[in-house]
Amino acid sequence: MSVLVVARWTVLEARRRRLLLAGVVLSVAFVALFVVGFYLLYRTQQRALLEEQATGAGPPGGFDAREELLAMSTILVILGLYGVQFLAALLGLFLGVASVSPEIDSGALHAVLARPLSRLQYLLGRFLALAGLLAAYVVVMSGALLLTARVVAGYQPGDALRVVGLMILQVLILLAVSLLGSTVLPTLANGVVMLVLFGLAWLGGIIGFVGTIPPGNELMANLGTAVSLLLPADAVWRGASYYVLPPSFLVATSFAGGGGDLEFGLPFGSTTPMAPAMLAWALAYPVACLTLAVAAFRRRDL
Amino acid sequence: MSRTASAEQAEAVAGTGSEVPAIATSGLHKAYGARVALHDLTLRVQPGEVFGFLGPNGAGKTTAMKILLGLVRPSGGEALVFDRPPAEPAARRRVGYLPEHFRFQEWATGEELLDFHGRLAGMGAPERAGRIPELLERVGLAGRGGERVRRYSKGMTQRLGLALALLHRPDLVLLDEPTSALDPVGRREVRELVRELADAGVTVFLNSHLLTEVEAVCDRVAIVSQGRVVASGPLDDLAGAVTQLRVLADRVDRQLLALLGRHGEVARVEGTAVTLAVDTLDVAPDLARLLVTSGYRLYGLVPVQRSLEDIFVDLVGEVREG
Repeated sequence: MSVLVVARWTVLEARRRRLLLAGVVLSVAFVALFVVGFYLLYRTQQRALLEEQATGAGPPGGFDAREELLAMSTILVILGLYGVQFLAALLGLFLGVASVSPEIDSGALHAVLARPLSRLQYLLGRFLALAGLLAAYVVVMSGALLLTARVVAGYQPGDALRVVGLMILQVLILLAVSLLGSTVLPTLANGVVMLVLFGLAWLGGIIGFVGTIPPGNELMANLGTAVSLLLPADAVWRGASYYVLPPSFLVATSFAGGGGDLEFGLPFGSTTPMAPAMLAWALAYPVACLTLAVAAFRRRDL
Repeated sequence: MSRTASAEQAEAVAGTGSEVPAIATSGLHKAYGARVALHDLTLRVQPGEVFGFLGPNGAGKTTAMKILLGLVRPSGGEALVFDRPPAEPAARRRVGYLPEHFRFQEWATGEELLDFHGRLAGMGAPERAGRIPELLERVGLAGRGGERVRRYSKGMTQRLGLALALLHRPDLVLLDEPTSALDPVGRREVRELVRELADAGVTVFLNSHLLTEVEAVCDRVAIVSQGRVVASGPLDDLAGAVTQLRVLADRVDRQLLALLGRHGEVARVEGTAVTLAVDTLDVAPDLARLLVTSGYRLYGLVPVQRSLEDIFVDLVGEVREG
């Protein structure tokens, strides 16, 4: 009950601080940009390809027009979703960083925690409300992008549910870790630490990707994995991006295999699914962060 | 000073009622690293009492209060609120609290804040709907409840804090410097409020460094300095522990001081006024006769009750020097 009271209060806070308004306005702008961009690019490319086909000047020994359009759509969708996950990730970090420590610093928490409310209930209420807002954000944004691609290009991702689910998981990871930081660090210090961690995780993803470029570099791949263990956010996004790929595209990729000249290995996405062990770690990660946050917060003098 | 409190004395002063005390601490200790905020605090506050916790800034008053609310974990000793450790959320159900800096979520309106706290305190919707306007009116914020706390003046915010503390009709109210932001009128209103609470049987634990405030409303006080209780007891006992006579004569010379010294201890000499500490006021008539027969012209011989401020300054000064 108290958890819900705190959650409701947190949502009211987001509304009052114009967080929701700002989020909605910026997101609408982002989606509009994607819709226009995707539509124009797709139509232009479609027309060009049809003309080429009509004059018999198709690409030598490569894909036909439909496959090429599919490849382009895939890259555009992954890029768009990459933007969404980046925005959502930053939002998650900011909301988490601002979740507890500013209230401690201002003293506003004293009166609240003097109520018959446990620290666990308080943290859980905060987390649930912010997680709900972020999840809604991811669902609406990625839904809008996928819908656009479907309407304009008839694009079908490999598994839309898993895409959205994993993207939500990624945001929850970032929210949980920054909320943990918010219970033990001052706001500014936590913000810096979280941005560095986030950057590191991104870099870890890139290093891991470079490690997979043939002939492959095991050390780099392992380094990437190690960084992902520290903060599995980027790894989860890569896991999500795999399910963006349409099934036929996956087949084409594996056929294109070693000799293909298309950019199938995407630096900001993945053409292989997430390792089950990494997925398990990513699922356990927010739970562990919250558990640690509660333990740390219980011991903290206000 | 004979009233330096030890644990036994504190308990003796508080009496030994069989009722569950509103507040009971024993050997409460809090250290932040090397800095000790609270030494060995032993207190007992009975239900219905108005208890003043008095001390200079940094004496450990706020730390003690925060321990009683579960906001701070003691490093040693035990604290009980209505017989339960305050770290348990349920122990705080009957407690209202006005924090020292009365900072609240500034983005909310006063009414929203009261509603939130009412929900946390377990009040139902009809109860909140009735109680919130009533309280806003009571603390002088009628008609201002719909404004954001950000726009409130300091005094208004403190009034809102009082409303929050009293919202759920608690049995124990902890007020940390409740009038720090109020003007003289506001201070008097708070004093009246505290008296009303006392009349209604509510226990009030008041932190203050304002002596007049404590003097005006408290049944019992504890004076703390540098984390220790240096005196405690009913206000009258503390103030009446030493009786003084103020002697106004036409001249002060060695002979006069010697005469006075036979009946008490000369505390101060200011011009032609001598303050004499005596065991009992019964010496006054004899002293008057003696002075007159010795050739002094006597302008006044007035019993002086020591104010809480005198006691406070003496005690706190002693601790600082020692």
